[in-house]
Amino acid sequence: MSPPHAKHSGNPERPAPRLRYGEFLSAVRVKQNRMSYNQVYAEATRNARAPRLRLIDLHRLLTPYVSVRFLDQVRAVVPLALFLALFQIAALRVSVSEGDEIAFGMLAVMLGLMLFMDGVKYGLMPFSENIGFKLPDRSPTTVVLAFAFLLGAIATFAEPAIGALRAAGAGLDPARTPWLHLLLTRYPGRLVFAVAAGVGAAVVVGMLRFIFAWRMKTLVIAVLVPCLAASVYAGLDPRLAPILGLAWDCGAITTGPVTVPLVLALGIGVAAAAGEQDNPLSGFGIVTLASLFPAMAVILVAIGLVSEVPDPAALPAIAGAGAIVPWWDETPVAEMIAAVRAIAPLVLLLWLAQRFLLGEKLAQRQFIAYGVVVAVLGMTLFNVGLTVGLIPLGDQAGKVVPSAFHAAGGGVPLYPYPFGVALTLLFAATIGYGATVAEPALNAMGVTVENLTDGAFPRKLLIQSVAAGVALGTALGVAKIIFQWPMLPLLLGAYAVALALTVLSLEEYVSLAWDSAGVTTGPVTVPLVLALGLGLSQAVGAAEGFGILAMASAGPIVSVLAVGLWIRRGSRGET
Amino acid sequence: MKQRDEIVVLTDAVLITCIVQRGSAEAVVEAATEAGAQGATIFYARGTGVRQKHLGVLGITVNAEKEVLYIVAPGDHADHIFERVYVAAKLDTPGMGMIYMMRLEKMATYVPPEVAARFGQYADHHG
Repeated sequence: MSPPHAKHSGNPERPAPRLRYGEFLSAVRVKQNRMSYNQVYAEATRNARAPRLRLIDLHRLLTPYVSVRFLDQVRAVVPLALFLALFQIAALRVSVSEGDEIAFGMLAVMLGLMLFMDGVKYGLMPFSENIGFKLPDRSPTTVVLAFAFLLGAIATFAEPAIGALRAAGAGLDPARTPWLHLLLTRYPGRLVFAVAAGVGAAVVVGMLRFIFAWRMKTLVIAVLVPCLAASVYAGLDPRLAPILGLAWDCGAITTGPVTVPLVLALGIGVAAAAGEQDNPLSGFGIVTLASLFPAMAVILVAIGLVSEVPDPAALPAIAGAGAIVPWWDETPVAEMIAAVRAIAPLVLLLWLAQRFLLGEKLAQRQFIAYGVVVAVLGMTLFNVGLTVGLIPLGDQAGKVVPSAFHAAGGGVPLYPYPFGVALTLLFAATIGYGATVAEPALNAMGVTVENLTDGAFPRKLLIQSVAAGVALGTALGVAKIIFQWPMLPLLLGAYAVALALTVLSLEEYVSLAWDSAGVTTGPVTVPLVLALGLGLSQAVGAAEGFGILAMASAGPIVSVLAVGLWIRRGSRGET
Repeated sequence: MKQRDEIVVLTDAVLITCIVQRGSAEAVVEAATEAGAQGATIFYARGTGVRQKHLGVLGITVNAEKEVLYIVAPGDHADHIFERVYVAAKLDTPGMGMIYMMRLEKMATYVPPEVAARFGQYADHHG
């Protein structure tokens, strides 16, 4: 048995027979059954069927897959929710009411987002990538642009955060902000259509930028100036002024986890077909446009509405208005229908384009079916969680926070006025900061940026500067509601600074800074902050509670541009 | 006696290649090291297999991004490492990957001079 050379390996002074370690091991180890792959192969191809799975196999397959995705959402949701609850308990000495219901809602939000993101990845992305790669080659530019417009518009309906917007009109006082109330309650369809059209237009302009390789700087200035002009026009009209906050908030809402990847996939295909080199920076820019155009579209719709309905108070009451249940009291069925209505058009559009523009079928159809089903399921769960968990939590916090400085309900304020206000602003800044740091999209962007700038703009610096900008913006937005400042000067001020810095900055920092505005407002932050603002406005008696998101997206533009300029000055000093 | 153009070439070396899903290589390397492997090289790859297709919808849990481990082991220990890696990588579950090993004609790397000298002297003594 033992190979001949084994005899020589011993010490010559002790010629005792020795057992080779390898032979010892072969005696104690598992038995290996040898089998010819040829036979197995012949058997497997003759009757190919699904392998029989044991329970342990299911566990091994599913557990890592699910836990990674679930933990991603936990990391984004739990710290924020805990902070809100703890702030209420510790600083304001109020316990969270309906805590178990909110906890259930948060769980639904996390599960729903997990499923939804997975569904988008498997159900929609393969379509979009395939179309993005092939359509620009096979169809004339006009068809591509038309498809881009439809994709942007319809993807907006599928954004999880848009549901929060539809629901936001309930707490408004129709006497003080008649047209805003009108827009949100009677014509929410128009509002959503305006936003969708705005995103569609933004996507078309983004595609044109890919084709003609326009500079981001020029584009930002060319788009921002008309937007600001429309805002000034609306802001000077007392009937339209309250709509500004909502209009600019809409921009932040639309750039979520559905629109951005879908549109980017198309954009990369268009850029490749236009013969542009594979420029890693070309991905940036669309997000910016998608947050500016909807603002303008909403303002335009509002202008049309004001001229169409001169006196909202004279309108007859909406039929059955008294019988309408509060929007958070709906059954899960209603949320399911909403989810189907949000996702079905998108799937239909992508499928039609795939079938008739490209004329081919997709491989792996079962994955796509799985993706669509899971996306609908996830969105249903998310919507339930939104109405049961996220919005009540934000609303509660918004209503309770002013008690720090405001004598609500005949009581005494908890803290002296300046301290209470400072505490509230600090609270707002912390929410903005915390929500931004937890955003996974920002982390991914930070890695890209670090590579692109050869380490000159480190990932941590980007995250910190964006988070600081969001914190500042959130605090400003909350201050706007507390002191009931008008929206226009704030908007003009923030965007004028942004514009000035844009002119001074390098092209790459411009794309980066303007995109960081859209990246930060994820599907958890948006409903929470929106509800917070509305609750706050009710508690302090402000006319409307929009504008926090708008300021929170303007903040990082300024802060990232400023940091970019500072880095350039520093590096110029060294060389 | 030792010349400059002389190198030590090791025989009886076996290459174990193990393909697992992205992210699980660390645990596999740990098991292999415990079983006596002296090192491992990991590189990234993409690939799918027949089991993944047969899993149906469950196939989405199998990541097409893979990690490929190269472990060069002495022939006597290779089977032991092979089995330990098989267990650590949970290769008895469909879709988890595969492992194979092959004899290498020769390999060379740093061999401590005193070890080389000992075996060199031994060879001289008997040769």
